[in-house]
Amino acid sequence: MTPILPAYSLMDHDIARARPLPTTGVGASLQRKEDRRFLAGEGEFVGNIKLPGMLHVAFARSAVAHGRILAVHKPAGFEDAVFTMADLEAGSPPVGPIRVLSSLPGFKPSSQWPLARDKVRQVGEPIAMCVAASRAEAEDIADAVVADIEDLPAVVDMLEARDAPPALVHEEWGDNIFLETLVEGGLKGDAFEALKRGAAVKVHRRLRTARQSMAPMEGRGVVCSWNTRLDQLEMHTAAQMPHINRAGLSETLGIDQASIRVIAPDVGGGFGYKGILLPEEICLAWLTRHIGRPVKWIEDRREQLIANTNCREHHYDITVYADARGRLLAIDCDSVIDSGAYSSYPFSACLEAAQVGSILPGPYKMEAFRCRTWSVSTNKPPILPYRGVARAGVCFAIETMVDAAARAAGVEPHEARLASLIEADEMPYDNITRKHFDSGDYPEAIRRAMQAIDLPRWRARQGAAEPDGRLIGVGHAVFCEQAAHGTSVYYGWGIPMVPGHEQCGARMTPDGRLELRIGAQSHGQSLETTLAQVANEILGIDPDHVRLVHGDTGMTPYSTGTWGSRSMVMSGGAVAEACALMVERVRDIAAHLFQVPLDQVMLAQGRVSDRAGGHSLTLAELAHVWYRQPQRLPPGVNPAGLEVIGGYKARVDTGTFSYACHAVAVAVDPGTGAVELLDYVIVEDAGTLVNPMVVDGQIYGGTAQGIGTALFEEMRYDSQGQPLASTLADYMLPGATEVPAPRIIHMETPSPYTTFGQKGMGEGGAIAPGAAIANAVNDALRPLGAELTELPMSPRRVMAAIAASRAGGVIGSPHAAKGQAA
Amino acid sequence: MKAPVFDFTRALSVADAVALLADTARFTKPLAGGQSLGPMLNLRVAFPEHLIGVRQIESLRQAFIDPANGDLVLGAAVPHAQIEDGLIPDVTQGLLAHVAANIAYRAVRNRGTVGGSLAHADPAADWVNTMPLLGARMVAVGLAGEREIDARTFMTGPFTTALDEHELLVAVRVPALGKNARWGYVKFCRKPGEFAEAVGGVLIDRARGIGRLVMGATDGAPIVLEESAERVRAASSDSAVAAHWTDARLSAAIDAAGIGHDPYSAQLHLTMARRAIAVALA
Amino acid sequence: MTTIRLTVNGRAIEADVQPRTHLADFLREQQLLTGTNLGCEHGVCGACTLEIDGAPARSCITYAIDCDGASVRTIEGFGGDAPMAALRAAFSAEHALQCGYCTPGMLVTARDIVIRLPGVPEDRIRKELSGNLCRCTGYAGIVRAIRAVMAQSGTPSGPSLASTEPFASTAP
Ligand SMILES: Cc1cc2nc3c(=O)[nH]c(=O)nc-3n(C[C@H](O)[C@H](O)[C@H](O)COP(=O)(O)OP(=O)(O)OC[C@H]3O[C@@H](n4cnc5c(N)ncnc54)[C@H](O)[C@@H]3O)c2cc1C
Ligand code: FES
Ligand code: FES
Repeated sequence: MTPILPAYSLMDHDIARARPLPTTGVGASLQRKEDRRFLAGEGEFVGNIKLPGMLHVAFARSAVAHGRILAVHKPAGFEDAVFTMADLEAGSPPVGPIRVLSSLPGFKPSSQWPLARDKVRQVGEPIAMCVAASRAEAEDIADAVVADIEDLPAVVDMLEARDAPPALVHEEWGDNIFLETLVEGGLKGDAFEALKRGAAVKVHRRLRTARQSMAPMEGRGVVCSWNTRLDQLEMHTAAQMPHINRAGLSETLGIDQASIRVIAPDVGGGFGYKGILLPEEICLAWLTRHIGRPVKWIEDRREQLIANTNCREHHYDITVYADARGRLLAIDCDSVIDSGAYSSYPFSACLEAAQVGSILPGPYKMEAFRCRTWSVSTNKPPILPYRGVARAGVCFAIETMVDAAARAAGVEPHEARLASLIEADEMPYDNITRKHFDSGDYPEAIRRAMQAIDLPRWRARQGAAEPDGRLIGVGHAVFCEQAAHGTSVYYGWGIPMVPGHEQCGARMTPDGRLELRIGAQSHGQSLETTLAQVANEILGIDPDHVRLVHGDTGMTPYSTGTWGSRSMVMSGGAVAEACALMVERVRDIAAHLFQVPLDQVMLAQGRVSDRAGGHSLTLAELAHVWYRQPQRLPPGVNPAGLEVIGGYKARVDTGTFSYACHAVAVAVDPGTGAVELLDYVIVEDAGTLVNPMVVDGQIYGGTAQGIGTALFEEMRYDSQGQPLASTLADYMLPGATEVPAPRIIHMETPSPYTTFGQKGMGEGGAIAPGAAIANAVNDALRPLGAELTELPMSPRRVMAAIAASRAGGVIGSPHAAKGQAA
Repeated sequence: MKAPVFDFTRALSVADAVALLADTARFTKPLAGGQSLGPMLNLRVAFPEHLIGVRQIESLRQAFIDPANGDLVLGAAVPHAQIEDGLIPDVTQGLLAHVAANIAYRAVRNRGTVGGSLAHADPAADWVNTMPLLGARMVAVGLAGEREIDARTFMTGPFTTALDEHELLVAVRVPALGKNARWGYVKFCRKPGEFAEAVGGVLIDRARGIGRLVMGATDGAPIVLEESAERVRAASSDSAVAAHWTDARLSAAIDAAGIGHDPYSAQLHLTMARRAIAVALA
Repeated sequence: MTTIRLTVNGRAIEADVQPRTHLADFLREQQLLTGTNLGCEHGVCGACTLEIDGAPARSCITYAIDCDGASVRTIEGFGGDAPMAALRAAFSAEHALQCGYCTPGMLVTARDIVIRLPGVPEDRIRKELSGNLCRCTGYAGIVRAIRAVMAQSGTPSGPSLASTEPFASTAP
């Protein structure tokens, strides 16, 4: 459990003096090592991989959302080029379905066959796999496949799926509910009822967040071949967690894990979209062995948008109780998550809902909390955890409610927040759902954000009419990002893949360079650079002399992969441990070589020397002796040499809590419903920043995605379950004109639980924009009495809210409660 | 997402192209910049059997002033970027360049052509709304010879035009604006470069007796409100011409075009029309 | 199959192509120039942007057969090009790339901006970038890199005329 190196223990070592120039180690904004190949156009994405004799695959996919498969007809003359589930099941061993179990009581698993069998449950579900010499020809064949499908009513809306289902997605369940949970904390029963009765402010809303597509610029893609020498499947796949893909392939294909090597090459963005075992991966793995040729499938954008996974469709029926100052007293919420047709491997259809129930209180103190969640199945693609997972929806829910409560109480929203937040001197703090907050000063983040956005300036501007007739609003939102959480947390959330210990393999090569092998995967997170900085911090080695090997099950230690903002904490911790072990090995060899006591040997700035100053070697010289001139080494030197495995698990594995306050000023055009962002400020605390430039990059990128959530992105479906966005012209991703350059202000409260005090922070940017912008838009619309309760706040929804207010109601919340401000 | 099989022949003259397009045995279509047809082919929503490349036809790439009447003759294969950059004679006081600069993105404008855009006839596109505003005439050539089509009757519905299947659009004749003409052209897009949800265009050219308002990105051809020449000439000012375009009249036209059932869309069209008027009068 | 002749990165090439093969696939599959990435294959994302006859174009909706006689330059073809070298350095310095997938198309567009529109204000830079989507960086570093190269070239990006706000809308 205990890491070899407790936090800040580096100071105990002589190597503390190895602390290098601040331009290379932890804390330096080092330019990225991975840039060169991408700038040259030399990135190795899966689409670039070509193997001799390789064939191409296209899938014939379901055109209907729900139906019973009566027959699948292979086009005449192409019987050998088309494969259905029957073919895959006829093999030995037969290919099985994806089944993801959860440890949470009552969870109902789904069986997702790699190619649809018996039933189709979403548009785009693969029905047949077609192989040809080129992708174009494979598509020609796929177009000619005919599936006889008896239509069944489509289950499209999540509330309908729960309350009045037109059909059952999985008949054997008897309903459409994957999982129902209840989380309670604080006062219960009569005491809770009494609190409700006594609360000065009570606000109730029905809130909704749209289904989204994560839409990395590169889609999924798979290249497979069978290595006959090793009797091993070799799969290149655009994936975030290759070791997990390998486990899933083994389970569904019925072959052992050692017979599978999964390589994630350069991956063009993930955001959670690539954290899944795909049916297509199983199909291609089977196919390459079956036909004895390498095969390739590259997901195109339409497949991504209509067939593959989505994210983030939440509904909240929520009531918040507050005192007369807007201080939070209690939350009472029913939340429904549309999990789509299947429970995905490995995160399952329980993670999102389980998160909602446990993190809805956010960083607030309160006296009572109750949240019931339903994860429901519909005839839409499965959902996966997208950057921020449930936090983006949760943040939208709680933060728009805090604003609504503040309006009802007649106080500025930040005053309501300051009255309710956990205070710095209360840290570490266990909140009402027993989340363990490690550190931080949330009120200070809000104060700084209010100062930076200059609230009085906007309030003054609101007082004077804009020359162009637009309405000005200002709003903010605060959130916490529990990250790098480990075993206990994920076990509690019931996901079948519980992360545990993380390892790094380190080898000093005979020329004194360092190879680091990690099981996580870097697809834009800059780990090749930041982990080299960690190595530099401990070994003093030039980051240019460090090479990161990642994304390859054949070369790296097991890991659940890169997700959940965990890599910098977990892999960073493991790299630090491995490098610390390497320091000991280097010193041991040097002590023997120099013939001095171990405690006389020190390592600084890439040189090892004895304190008396008689001897000094570079790492390269030392490595040369170890590997090439062992005759110079006396007996007794540790034969394990310059190859180590370092492992890491946080002492407290409940995770680090990064947090931020996003504040934004908007102008709303009442003639079109368009929202323009006029200023955007982020006050962020991610603990110790390993590379501030990279951290800012994560915040900018996440915020851009959050702006997509807030204003643009929406996977819409018609009543038959047909997706209405099948191109990037319909599914609108924010571009350079939609995304401002936010002003970022850092606070740095180190986590007491991690190696350098660093905190996971990769997701945060994406969490708050929906809430912050909604609060600003609602602030702008306040004079009209209009309020938005649904994301994205498209011009159409803005105009509808304005129209509804003219007609005398608040859209989306027909039961607006007493106490609510006009 | 790969295009279905098709044949391709590059035409080097209008005669060439017209002869090739006359083929009735195969579904034959011109290919200009490919910026609309390309996506449709890749998405497999269009299945032409034979494409005739018309981008290289020299006469289609020309733009010049007709000395006879001062019209701009704008070749069908002139790319948007060339208009944006002011490389063609300007008879519209910058309107064409303004419109061109806000179509799609530079990389698309470098290849997409005026003729391709008009023939494609997407109601949300720009030239199908601009050319009626300007009172332009389309010049089409078929086996039967050349004819002109008024831009206001060119578009017959969404993605359909008055062009005969085998006709080639060779040029657009844009009449020169009068000296004191004023225009406004605004559109509402969720993002720059994306197709418009509503377009408003206004031209007030009292010297030529023109007072015209266009509302585009409808469910079909744009709505054109045309003031009578007498009324325009009699008006004492541009504002007096614009005064006829009351909200009630605009809304009635929007309703008549069938957009009224969607209050959001109706409101957007009204807003864009009002803003186009404001720009013209500014 | 039809034979076409064109110049790719300065090299004269003769190749057989199917009419339906788009330029990006031709370059990636037949010429093994995989620097040009595909993000949508319907003209929206800009990942496939390269130069045809010196101007940026979408290679996913341009067919190779229609490039007969053209001169094509991909990200692999900017070896000795000074503006591209400056942009590459600035992209790295300003952290204008993360996963790198949008980067080749982004660089081609950025180069067009610094050459065609020297000194334009930030809102114009952003509008010119609007046809190149990036899902990772939030564009902050990309805009900064372009401004930095403009400044180095003696044509610093001017103040925005449209608005006095920290950043301005380009909406009409
Ligand atoms: C991402 C994106 C965004 C866009 N945004 C906009 C926008 O904001 N506004 C806008 O107006 N447009 C927009 N467009 C469309 C763009 O302007 C296209 O260039 C234009 O619509 C088609 O021109 P083209 O030359 O590429 O025609 P093609 O795609 O080659 O052809 C289009 C159609 O016209 C026919 N055709 C072509 N030339 C002729 C001819 N001479 N005679 C008869 N028929 C002919 C073809 O057979 C085909 O049916 C956008 C396109 C993309 C890809
Ligand atoms: S791949 Fe060409 S624009 Fe997206
Ligand atoms: S860097 Fe990943 S899409 Fe731009």
